[in-house]
Amino acid sequence: MTGPFFGLFAVFFAGPLIYSVVLSLRSPRTGGFAGLLNYRATFSNGYYWSAVVRMGYFGVIQVTVMIGFAICLALLLDGPYCRGRRIFSLVYFLPYAIPGVIAALMWGFLLEPDLDVLLKVPHLLGITSGSIQPLDYRLSLYAIMLIVTWEWAGYNMTILLTSLTSVPRQVIEAAKVDGASELAIAARIKLPMIRRTLIFITILSIIGTLQLFSEPVILNEVAAIGNSLTPNQIIYNTAFSFGNLQTAAAQSLVLAVITIVATVAFYGIVRRRMNPLAATRTAK
Amino acid sequence: MTAAAWSARSLLGKAFGPRMAVRAKTTATTAILLVAAACVLIPIYWLIVASSKDTSQLFSTNTFLLPSHPSWSANFSSLFSYESGDYKWWFLNSFIYASVTATLATVVSTMAGYGLAKYEFGGRRAAIGLVMGTLMVPATALVVPLFLLEHYMGLTDTYQGVILPLIVYPFGVYFMSIYAAEAVPDALLESARIDGAGEFRALWKVGRPILVPGMATLFLLSFIATWNNYFLPLVLLGTETRFPLTVGLSAWAATLNEVGAGEPLYSNLILGSLISVLPMLVLFPFLQKYVARGLTFGAIAGE
Repeated sequence: MTGPFFGLFAVFFAGPLIYSVVLSLRSPRTGGFAGLLNYRATFSNGYYWSAVVRMGYFGVIQVTVMIGFAICLALLLDGPYCRGRRIFSLVYFLPYAIPGVIAALMWGFLLEPDLDVLLKVPHLLGITSGSIQPLDYRLSLYAIMLIVTWEWAGYNMTILLTSLTSVPRQVIEAAKVDGASELAIAARIKLPMIRRTLIFITILSIIGTLQLFSEPVILNEVAAIGNSLTPNQIIYNTAFSFGNLQTAAAQSLVLAVITIVATVAFYGIVRRRMNPLAATRTAK
Repeated sequence: MTAAAWSARSLLGKAFGPRMAVRAKTTATTAILLVAAACVLIPIYWLIVASSKDTSQLFSTNTFLLPSHPSWSANFSSLFSYESGDYKWWFLNSFIYASVTATLATVVSTMAGYGLAKYEFGGRRAAIGLVMGTLMVPATALVVPLFLLEHYMGLTDTYQGVILPLIVYPFGVYFMSIYAAEAVPDALLESARIDGAGEFRALWKVGRPILVPGMATLFLLSFIATWNNYFLPLVLLGTETRFPLTVGLSAWAATLNEVGAGEPLYSNLILGSLISVLPMLVLFPFLQKYVARGLTFGAIAGE
């Protein structure tokens, strides 16, 4: 029963992974064993590390904002003052059905001042000296944050909302009887009870941030924002523009390690924060 | 609860009475939800409006209003005739990649998930752990070596080359192992075995009817993931007529800033984007339930 899966897994997953380790130890010039040459090249590559740091900055802002939106919308939809819950949750989830490439194209045009009148409004009001240029190189990172948030906030909200509906209603009713406000119920009961889901979606978002590729590539095609904004763009260029698959393999393995370290570090931090909560829970 | 929240609440209560306070809160909630919905829908609305304009209308007419003379038919024929009509191949290819991958991924993952859930064999725990571990490996770390391996196997620039790696869907196995463990009663399988059914026959006769809703979810998740995929086909494919929509439209977008590439393909890109998302947008209201169930599964199972 498990044969077909593990067979394909060996050829198209485990095999490539092992092969990339082998590849990363070979010389780009001769193809012979080169020790840690490619790793040294990766570690001394300033563009690579500034891309990694850029994604750290990106993640701290974008993931926080996106998860914040997702939490607020999920709590509003789960609360007692919501009308039209089904239609709203459908609308918010809609961007999940749109490929990142298409979302980036759409937003790329919409953020182009010649194509979008709204970007001229601040200029007409005399606030700025020209139209806003969100795809200017200084603002392009924020433009990508906007696009990624548009794409994934509703997806995260959907996961949170399903998790919220599994919070036992008796607990919430009991808190209401005790006179707790909706805000208190949300902050003290609902959020703590779905904290595992929160951690799960945040980890997925951190992994997604370090993997960013389609959106910056497409925006670069629309507005020439630069082709080395993210680590994956650099790996792609190394491999397929410069034909250096060996160094690209080392770069992608280092990125894999960075991803795992970031994930584990995040989990370690929230776990330590969660411990007092867990203690009070068992005490009860 | 904070003092501010208390006082705001009692103020609201005093000023309007409890029923008015509820109504005010409902109105405020609806207002916030409507603004958020507008943020989601406006870009899609713009895409529909912009698809009606030719290049000069795009730069001269109001961004969010239909022009007085929509150019839909001209845009449509330009989209499907440009460069000997590559676009129709891209659409067809996306459909082939997504439907074949989703079908095979669903079958392979269901068998594996069911096998892991229902049979005791050595290293079953290790196998589940392995599947879980792969969720952590970034897919891009696989693409560079995969390109070389497929090159040796003669699979680059072929349909199989794109489809085969995407059949490996560890999340699907994980999903199905939990789904099967919960949904298929062991007693039912036992009775099928006693009746002399082989393992595959038992799965087909007894397991399949119960597993179908889970398989539908898996099919949709895999279909959407493949339809949206960009990195893997971008690396593996070289022939334009084998591109999926994402790679094809990106190739057109790459000519926007090229010097001497002729008239920019704005209207082709905009209408092409709209048509590429239209089927999914139309079907999504009917599929949302199944998709959402699959996504939340991983999160809830850990709760």
